[in-house]
Amino acid sequence: MKVTLKVWRQKGPDQPGRFEAYDAEVPSTDMSFLELMDTVNEGLIAKGSDAIAFDHDCREGICGMCSQVIDGQPHGPDQGAATCQLHMRKFKDGDVVTVEPFRAKAFPVIKDLVVDRSALDRVVSCGGFISINTGAAVDGNAVPVPKVDAEAAMDAAACIGCGACVAACPNAAAMLFVGAKVSHLALLPQGGPERARRVLGMRQAMDAEGFGHCTNEAECEAVCPKEIKVSNIARLNREFIKALVCSKE
Amino acid sequence: METLNRIVTSSIGRKLVVALMGLLLCGFLVGHLGGNLFLFVGKDAFNAYAHHLETFPLLVPVELGLAGVALVHILVTLYLQLTSLAARPERYAVTQSKGGRTWGSSTMIYTAAAVLLFIVVHVATLKYGARPSPEDLHGLVMRYFSSWGWVAFYAGCMACLGLHLSHGFWSAFQTFGVDHPKYTPVIKGLGTAFAVAVSLAFASIPVWARIAMGGSQ
Repeated sequence: MKVTLKVWRQKGPDQPGRFEAYDAEVPSTDMSFLELMDTVNEGLIAKGSDAIAFDHDCREGICGMCSQVIDGQPHGPDQGAATCQLHMRKFKDGDVVTVEPFRAKAFPVIKDLVVDRSALDRVVSCGGFISINTGAAVDGNAVPVPKVDAEAAMDAAACIGCGACVAACPNAAAMLFVGAKVSHLALLPQGGPERARRVLGMRQAMDAEGFGHCTNEAECEAVCPKEIKVSNIARLNREFIKALVCSKE
Repeated sequence: METLNRIVTSSIGRKLVVALMGLLLCGFLVGHLGGNLFLFVGKDAFNAYAHHLETFPLLVPVELGLAGVALVHILVTLYLQLTSLAARPERYAVTQSKGGRTWGSSTMIYTAAAVLLFIVVHVATLKYGARPSPEDLHGLVMRYFSSWGWVAFYAGCMACLGLHLSHGFWSAFQTFGVDHPKYTPVIKGLGTAFAVAVSLAFASIPVWARIAMGGSQ
């Protein structure tokens, strides 16, 4: 099987970019999309050309580094999977596959397909944590947590911070990411004392980073490799309203 | 004051304003539709209703309040739309939905423009249009709806309103943080039912006037 990759090439930040086409032989449909990119890069290096820069690390869908938009979909056509979990069996012989970086003002392109997603870290640094001194480990049953809350908190905590929600959002909003971070702490007793400060701080940082606003289109939920639900966005809104009305801060 | 500042200066706060104004406008639609249905009762009933409404002492303050609600809904949305355009200065070469977007959600700004155009035309023609006699709003309505062109314009604009509501109704509740595994499907269903019922009921008036009444008085 052969495919043609149309890849965004950009030498550096604020440099003009363009698409370049690469014909690639796919020896096995069981190879991953990133392995195909590796193969293309080996060919480019052998010819003395500049390899395509792309982010990757664990290659098992847990680190959130891979960040490509493949044929218009962040992480490609698979459901609930990161780019590194995408396999060539999803494509057909002769396909022309367009590969772009995540596009958002808050995610400036560093090179080719690599974008700077540190905006998400800066948002988390404005409240996405618990700063109380936890002391020694307490007995597991000392603080009762309803099972549904524990499950919902774990679902929200599954966010790997890849930024696909921002990339897919028609408004480049980070509401699903911030919703997940606010939710996983707000649902647990330990996150309670700082919930108002957290949501107000993270909201402010989110807007300051230049993310767009949420129009509840749920594209973020559809592309999320961890299948995080937009109910977390509703919880973020709820936490924000509660903080507006009740907070003494 | 700090609370007001947080609402006005934040993306979530601005969305709350848009959602609140949207739900108020939904309430207006229900009231306006209720009045319009007097057309089906008959000429005298509709004209009596119109007279009652036009002589209501608080009509002007209510109209100004309604115009204010609509204006805030539109202007805040436009501002948010501009910030969203700025949030993605470089567009994608290829975009493909993965199933989140609906017809209603992806066309909100266009259906909004159609509804705004409709409001301007509707107010200019049926509120300030020349009536056969000062007390005969029914005659004015029927004169307009004797034309298939006007009937098509009204029906088309009501389809746009329905599409707008099909996303807007649920979206307002989501913005207010109203979400629950039991009730969210009900709210979504109510939103669809509201959108279909309101747009069909409004569109039925010009269609009925043209077909059943022949546009005559």
